[in-house]
Amino acid sequence: MKRWLVALLVLGLSAMAQEALKVGVVVSATGPAASLGIPEQNTFLMLQEMLDRTGGVAGRKVQFVILDDASDTTQAVRNTRRLVEEGVVAVIGTTTTPASLGMIPVVAEAKVPMISLAASKDIIYPVDAQRHWVFKTPQTEELMARAIVADMVARGVKTVAYIGFNDAYGEGWARFFEAEAKAKGLQVVVSERYARTDTSVTGQVLRIIARRPDAVLVGASGTPAVLPQRTLKERAYAGLIYQTHGVANPDFLRVGGKDVEGTLLPAGPILVAEQLPSAYPTKRVALDYIQRYEAKYGIGSYSTFGAHAWDAWLILKPALERALKRVDSAKDLAAFRATLRDEIEATRNLVATHGVFTFSKEDHLGLRFEDAAVMVRVENGRWKLERTFR
Amino acid sequence: MRYLWFLLLLLPLALSPFPYYLTLLNFFALSAMVVLSLYVLTGLAGMTSFAQAAFMGMGAYATALLTIKAGLSPWLGLGAGLLFALLLALLLGALTVRLKGHFLPLSTIAWQVALYILAGNLVGLTGGHTGLTDLPPIHFFGISLDTGFRYAFLTLFLLVLLVLALYNLRQSRIGRALLALRGDALAAASFGVDPAVLRLKAFLLSGVIAGLAGFLYAHFLRFVNPTPFSLEASIKYLVMAVAGGVGSIPGVMLGAAFFTGLEDWLKDLLPLLLGRQGNYETIGYGLILALILILAPKGLWPLVERYLPSRDLGVPKAEPLSLKSPDGPRGEVVLEVQGLQKSFGGLLAVAGVSFDLRRGEILALIGPNGAGKSTTFNLVAGALLPDRGQVRLFGKEITGLPPYRIHALGLGRTFQHPHLFLELTVLENAALGTYSRTRAGFLQALLGLSRREEERALATAYRALKRVGLESLALEKAERLSVGQQRLLEIARLLASGAEVLLLDEPAAGLRAQEKREFASLLRSLAREGYTVLIVDHDMDLIMGLADRVVVMNYGEKIAEGAPKEVQRNPLVRAAYLGEEEVA
Amino acid sequence: MDATILSFLLLDGLQNGVVYGLLALSLVLVFAVTRVILVPIGELLMFAPLSLVWLLEGKLPGTLWLALVLGGAWALMARGRGALLPLVGGVGLFLLFLLAKEVPPLAYLAAVLLVVYLGVATYRVFFQPMRGATVLSLLIMAVGLHVAYQGLGLVFFGPEQFRPAPLLSGEVVVGLSWQGVLVLLFAALSLMALYLFFRFSLFGKALLAAAENRLGARLLGIRPEEAGMVAFGIASLLAAFSGLLLAPLINAAYFMGFMLGLKGFVAAILGGLASYPVAFLGALLVGFFESFTSFYASAYKEALVFLLLVPALFYQSLRARTVEE
Repeated sequence: MKRWLVALLVLGLSAMAQEALKVGVVVSATGPAASLGIPEQNTFLMLQEMLDRTGGVAGRKVQFVILDDASDTTQAVRNTRRLVEEGVVAVIGTTTTPASLGMIPVVAEAKVPMISLAASKDIIYPVDAQRHWVFKTPQTEELMARAIVADMVARGVKTVAYIGFNDAYGEGWARFFEAEAKAKGLQVVVSERYARTDTSVTGQVLRIIARRPDAVLVGASGTPAVLPQRTLKERAYAGLIYQTHGVANPDFLRVGGKDVEGTLLPAGPILVAEQLPSAYPTKRVALDYIQRYEAKYGIGSYSTFGAHAWDAWLILKPALERALKRVDSAKDLAAFRATLRDEIEATRNLVATHGVFTFSKEDHLGLRFEDAAVMVRVENGRWKLERTFR
Repeated sequence: MRYLWFLLLLLPLALSPFPYYLTLLNFFALSAMVVLSLYVLTGLAGMTSFAQAAFMGMGAYATALLTIKAGLSPWLGLGAGLLFALLLALLLGALTVRLKGHFLPLSTIAWQVALYILAGNLVGLTGGHTGLTDLPPIHFFGISLDTGFRYAFLTLFLLVLLVLALYNLRQSRIGRALLALRGDALAAASFGVDPAVLRLKAFLLSGVIAGLAGFLYAHFLRFVNPTPFSLEASIKYLVMAVAGGVGSIPGVMLGAAFFTGLEDWLKDLLPLLLGRQGNYETIGYGLILALILILAPKGLWPLVERYLPSRDLGVPKAEPLSLKSPDGPRGEVVLEVQGLQKSFGGLLAVAGVSFDLRRGEILALIGPNGAGKSTTFNLVAGALLPDRGQVRLFGKEITGLPPYRIHALGLGRTFQHPHLFLELTVLENAALGTYSRTRAGFLQALLGLSRREEERALATAYRALKRVGLESLALEKAERLSVGQQRLLEIARLLASGAEVLLLDEPAAGLRAQEKREFASLLRSLAREGYTVLIVDHDMDLIMGLADRVVVMNYGEKIAEGAPKEVQRNPLVRAAYLGEEEVA
Repeated sequence: MDATILSFLLLDGLQNGVVYGLLALSLVLVFAVTRVILVPIGELLMFAPLSLVWLLEGKLPGTLWLALVLGGAWALMARGRGALLPLVGGVGLFLLFLLAKEVPPLAYLAAVLLVVYLGVATYRVFFQPMRGATVLSLLIMAVGLHVAYQGLGLVFFGPEQFRPAPLLSGEVVVGLSWQGVLVLLFAALSLMALYLFFRFSLFGKALLAAAENRLGARLLGIRPEEAGMVAFGIASLLAAFSGLLLAPLINAAYFMGFMLGLKGFVAAILGGLASYPVAFLGALLVGFFESFTSFYASAYKEALVFLLLVPALFYQSLRARTVEE
């Protein structure tokens, strides 16, 4: 029954779009990472509409097959295998680090290129036999931690406290931030954890305040990042408060209100695109994305996470065009996938919303710190560009 | 017949053109193992666990650490994984299986949450929430099991072995004892089952099975992180088991297959139905589960099973077990009760009762309501602990021993309301009696090494059924018996157990006159064969016609003892009963 | 640790504890009367403030449609005169929502009534047809509903948190907001009201009797389904008020309810799922314990809170020692 339905579905779709190029997408549209995954999903839905209108890539229709992994490793792996079998030319996703790591053996075994939308450096480093197939678009925690620590040093911060999610996100930040801070001579005086679902972080905040750090970094994503900050304010903490780029969405400002005034955070330059100097390389591309996204989903709806998905497509599209010239995807899918991978790796100076991508055999992140991170401050309930690193 | 399960191994061949279905097949096999571990725990032993995913995690992390950090072979990882799951089960089981009722499942939630947090925060050891990557594939005689196709043979092969082993377990004395324990721990204990030990063993077995699934999971994904071993995952497995039908092996397997497929099915169907991409899978999942539970509270399998032909097992033909037949000089004292005393919160229920029970006699313990007869009975049978006094069986002190120890010495009891296991056959009910006369342990039962002993046990039970005249009903479910037949079945179960001293608690309650007469003549003929009977009842007609001697109690004390005729004339007895008649 | 930190932690623990306490009482009540462990109580709790936010922005929340659909199913299942209550209730609820858009006092009322209606309808549609099922089957049903309601919550309200304005702003003393005082007051009031209800009202007494003994309750003239509806109604009412009062302090989101419910559940177990006062004290204990562990070992907080259960379970299990007959 089920296979019959799938067959029908596939048949129907292929009749509609003769030889559409299928691109697999795995995102966390539900579960703990939904706040990041939904804008990613929206971006692909928007892209699908655009491509349907404009006729796809190099005369070929493109079809995104989007599957939700519910922020769960097992689901992500299942989805990936399913996509591989449906004959996708590449897999984009997924939102979270552990699930992306779980997908690596699958794409490596099937020899399908993959562009992850998750943060950790572990996904693309070191580039070994398996990671040969894996790229990613978001800045690593390492890169963003560098921005934060540079900003802290510039402001004369000597001691710093960390409070982050008790999950892969908070753990990744703790690891790379603490390493970078130590390297630059900052002292991390206390490292606390809380859960996304916690209703109170009084205990952690009291412990932080007792150590009197110059600054506090909150390693959390979405609106749950507000709670520690508000509690710090209520306990009259007067030092600097840093957030991560995981909060760069409008809901954070809405829920945080005046409690998050003055927050400092590193972000991809797209967050403050219109404030960027006109010479900034990514400005035009970023404004283009924002305008398209807001046209579909409403003014002020864009977040930086959807832009990671957009960047993945910006990388994939020219690579597809080049690969299509070399290999016929309908004749030899395996060869096409391998060629596509090579062409992705051959990407040079590709201007995207979050930075300029240049991949190489050793570097599957491809971002330069100078273009990919800016410091932003919350001012009057809006994101305000604080500094660039160019 | 049961070897048809090996046909599952053909599935990878059939599905080989569809690699994705091979993936699903592997996930089905993994889920099926976990739900089978729940079958052992919930279906057989009546315990509920919210920590199966934690046991999986033990298996998965053990092999991940050994293979990644120490570079050892996955097969060593398997050994370590099973060992760690076993150790965890031993630790948790020792601490928790004695918990009663819903305290046990709730405590498993606690363990599950705590272990998940540990796995996520011991970053140096477990890789934290991010996890451990690059597990090696399993090699089998030089073949690398690195594709879904090859892996499916391993998982399905192990799954089929597991299914067969669990069928063996279900058909063995252990399986019967577990089922009995689930229904009624006291009744099970009265046939020699040590509830705590048996439950602990079931818990261990269940933990090891889940650990095996965890090992296979780790080498299939070749990546481990804590989320697949979370409370949510444990709940998911429990849902599969219950919705499929946790009481049977095909039931839990059906649940695993249904819900493994359902998730993907919903991914295909919902966009078609709703015409748009959305996040409706979990909603559909929850609602379908609700629907199943409303329409089939016992799970899907009982609905399917109705349409399947039932299998006739046939009557056992093996040589019965050699039980010690009740012999010894008639009239020798077999049970000695001295100065028994028991109070419940200040109320003296039994105040120093003494009497002897002699071989071959039928002794009746009677008295008005609240006289302390049942309490005395339970003190003798070991269901209650006396405050003072002694009980000796064949000269051995048994005071304060648990029922399962007393039973082993040759004393059996029945219950006021027949404690039978209605979903088992009459034969199996009777065979429960042979528990303490048979030896096979968990391992032998699982491996099917106890078949011969099992056949003899069933033959023994069948012989006992013949003795009480129930042999024609041997293969029926016990729920189809009339009250009178249930009483007879209880006697048959005692006979199959090899007990020589039979303690009967109001055995004639609810019987019709004709049934009572037959029952009485059965007891008399048993007594002639050398069985000794202690009977508690109010039914004066029955007692006066049946008993050789009578002990009368009132207000917790023995007020008279002697032949029925003498006792009837005793003014104290008359006063006690007259008092009651006035009330009635 | 100095006295200030200690007092802050105690206040924090108290505020969390009373909320767990109210949830624990609801869970104990529902369990005692219906044998259902009401896992989705956390979702019901969150639906109240989220629906409120939607109303205040002038939108009709998806929960309204959910409630009306379940109410419709309830009416169909009840038929005859029994269908009057869900139909009238549903129409009334719908009208109230139309009136309550952007009208704060009405919106609060509407949010509470919505959750109560939803709670009772949940019982009638999903649990009542399962009467006589095992506790395990009922629990699995509750889990299924939790999953479905959480999924619906995401569809209705999106993945992010919302923060309705507090009813009272500002702090009484450092560490205790006026809103926090409201939560404490509400908890005290509900405790008193529940006590009076069970102690003095005929229906309350009958409800307790129903929990003890179904047959006895029938003799007292209370039908088990009525008792179930009232138990679910009271539980939803407590959950709705708790949600509305808490949301400004903790931020409401579709995913926030489950953990709250689970902690309430821990407390309920500490009370043996039977004793109301012990469950409430257990909840306070959980609150304090959580507060202190988040100070001393925040990464392991959840693990420690749940392990607190184990000795308590042992104690309870020993106490519950009876002849298993």
